Amino acid sequence: MLKNPSLTLDQSITQRKGNIVSNMGGEKVMLSIENGKYYNLGEVGGDIWDTIENPVTITELVDTLMAKYEIDKETCLSHVLSFIEMLRDEELIKFN
Amino acid sequence: MKKVWEKPELEILS
Repeated sequence: MLKNPSLTLDQSITQRKGNIVSNMGGEKVMLSIENGKYYNLGEVGGDIWDTIENPVTITELVDTLMAKYEIDKETCLSHVLSFIEMLRDEELIKFN
Repeated sequence: MKKVWEKPELEILS
């Protein structure tokens, strides 16, 4: 069940531009020019960030991640939704 | 071979 009713599986999401991204030790770190904050997205978060460079639905995002990682769909979806909510709260992504 | 999944977290560093 989705915690946020406005977040649906066929919702298309994409990165907001204006961030400086770098890989450090396999993890992705990012500086938001918009709000002046540094973020560590980690390895999986970095893969999610790369995947949403172009608009993708949450379903497509989960399918992409399941092809790369050893994870069941329910857990993957739950974790991805939580992460997307964090990105949304920091205004790092936009919904199409 | 698939990679090991770790729950993604958004850590604010500054």
